Amino acid sequence: MTAPSSATTATRVAAPSSDGSRDRRGSWIPTGGMIATRIMELRKRRGLMAALIVVNIGIPAIFLLVRLIMHAAAPKTYGPAGGYDVFSSLAAVVMYVFGFIVAATLGCTAGSVDLTEGMFRHLVITGRSRLALYFARIPAGLAIIVPLVAVGFTIVCAVCVFAAPTKLYYQGVNVPPSLTLTGFENWAAQHPKEAICGLPYGNVQVSGNGNGKKISVNVPCFIDQKGNVVIPPGTSGFKNISTATLKADAIVIAKQNYSAYSKVFLYPSNKLMIETGLWIELEAAIGFIVGLGLASLMGQRTVPVVLMIVLEIVLTPIFSRNAINHLINVQRGLVGLATAHLEPGGLPSAFGGGNGPGGPPPLVPESTTVAVCVVIGWVVVWTALGAWRMSKRDA
Amino acid sequence: MSTALLDDQHRENSLEGQWAVETHGLTKRFGDNVAVNGVELLVPRGCAFGYLGPNGAGKTTLIRVLLGLTRADAGTMSLLGHSVPRHRDVALARVGAIVDEPRFHGHLTGRQNLRILAAAREPAAKHRIDASLERVGMMHRADDRVSKYSMGMRQRLGVAACLLGDPQLLILDEPMNGLDPAGMHEMRDMIQNLVSEGRTVMLSSHLLDEVERTCDAVAIVDNGKVIRQGPISELLAGASVEVSVECATPERAQTVLAATALGAHVDVEATGLSIHLPSGTGRDAIAEINRLLVEDGIPVYRLQEIQVSLESWFLQVTSRLGESS
Repeated sequence: MTAPSSATTATRVAAPSSDGSRDRRGSWIPTGGMIATRIMELRKRRGLMAALIVVNIGIPAIFLLVRLIMHAAAPKTYGPAGGYDVFSSLAAVVMYVFGFIVAATLGCTAGSVDLTEGMFRHLVITGRSRLALYFARIPAGLAIIVPLVAVGFTIVCAVCVFAAPTKLYYQGVNVPPSLTLTGFENWAAQHPKEAICGLPYGNVQVSGNGNGKKISVNVPCFIDQKGNVVIPPGTSGFKNISTATLKADAIVIAKQNYSAYSKVFLYPSNKLMIETGLWIELEAAIGFIVGLGLASLMGQRTVPVVLMIVLEIVLTPIFSRNAINHLINVQRGLVGLATAHLEPGGLPSAFGGGNGPGGPPPLVPESTTVAVCVVIGWVVVWTALGAWRMSKRDA
Repeated sequence: MSTALLDDQHRENSLEGQWAVETHGLTKRFGDNVAVNGVELLVPRGCAFGYLGPNGAGKTTLIRVLLGLTRADAGTMSLLGHSVPRHRDVALARVGAIVDEPRFHGHLTGRQNLRILAAAREPAAKHRIDASLERVGMMHRADDRVSKYSMGMRQRLGVAACLLGDPQLLILDEPMNGLDPAGMHEMRDMIQNLVSEGRTVMLSSHLLDEVERTCDAVAIVDNGKVIRQGPISELLAGASVEVSVECATPERAQTVLAATALGAHVDVEATGLSIHLPSGTGRDAIAEINRLLVEDGIPVYRLQEIQVSLESWFLQVTSRLGESS
């Protein structure tokens, strides 16, 4: 075949750039421009962004705003908007669970839309490494989800600290916050009636300094809503009990309650807030990366999103609350349980995890090392599967 | 085109990297269906090359294999002298392509879609976005969402995406699809302009008329095999010759010609004859027809050689294949 005469004009088109250092399109490492445009592509999805903002920022913010308004309107009826209890509930339940789900949804979107919207073909034709196309999505997605979670969590922290109650009520009894064991015992000795009538106790031997001591006082009494000791009419109350006996029993009760009291604060400590923030970010990052890999593997969004939701709010709670001997290693391998094991102590248990210092004992025993390995395994395996499928898929 | 000429040209061009696209024994199967069947294709640089075939002939599959969108089962190929898929990144650096219907992120504007594609190319590509949009006449709609674009506008945006890499080779799959007559005319002009700049444009189509107007050379594909390829003028020169004869007594004229050794296939029409001469028949045969009729006393009013179109040639080729099978 003879080339037509127009071939003689071929020199008018520039030859490929010899500046190979600036065009490493065969490399699996994505460029900054690829990541930036991928962020733009995700950020412009209004519906998805609205859902992310509502769940990560809107729900906690509105919840706290309503509590602020209610407390301002009727402070005696409605407690302060912030505080430790509100913080732990929002962090360990709302932000942890729903943060994972919306991050997974973002990951599933990032992992599938190029394919479903026909852009994957255009991108492959550029000659760019398919692995680079895949890996560009990870920092891009994290650049969206991490700041969103951070903003929502910052709002929660701010309200919980600055709108925290000024007095600590433990079991309805006004107790000074953050006392040591000795301090708590001293307070009990100074307020024996409040301790005996307000704090729960069992007539059992108490460990530690209270070894061998039992409570002798048996007075039917309680603390009313205003914090006053109430003794039912017709009973003798504390009249026939010596002050020394009252103090001794109050100290024993204080010993029994100290473990629970030590986990109650006016507001979360800085350490707890930082640890919790990192923990929630970790959960969101895992949700995004696993969702990305799963959607890339399946080539669609809807089914992976449903699977991720089922994993987070059905399978993980079920396997967390029931230790099954024959499936114990499968249970340990669930990423939700592993991250729950990494939960900071001082938060209510997420899915039965929370074996950090001061946390409740986990139903499914798992060391921190194993939990970390499970988390890393999930991230690596799903990333590898997603990247592999993308590199082999027909475009 | 003789085999010897092809071989010589092939050897010469391979050494100099003159073929924009070169495939040998390229095969792609989907189960039992062989979509691309041992394709031997040579696309010269700097021309518009048509890849013709009926629907389902394997045109798009070949393009997808060339571009690395799907893997070949056998054979070798190269783009712009670079072996594919081994040097796919280098080869595709100067290739632009539209495959099937061009689709983009509907929630983004045309310009934003091009930014995504430019980011995947070399750094200079982002500076070509405006020029590409301008060239395809999409500058005024560049900041509208693609979801609001018509099919023709998406087609143009697809061409703009091709131009981001300042391509030496453009591969366009059915580029006229969805375009109105004015759009087809503009696309044709654009392709010719691209070729005049020294670029190679390979386009697949089943619109034979458009290909004939646009392309310098073609390959005909059927059932996954390339059955003819070469410059259009050379291919048409090998087609059978049709001669229209307007005469007084068509039936008698048919009898006269049937008794000769011309080997012509003669059809009787209302005002004369339609004569199909075998390919390679010289113009002397037309003069011989005239002589035979006049000598037999049949008045000849008009005698005209009908120019063979690519379409009629294509039908001849494919009908022969149909007969042989």
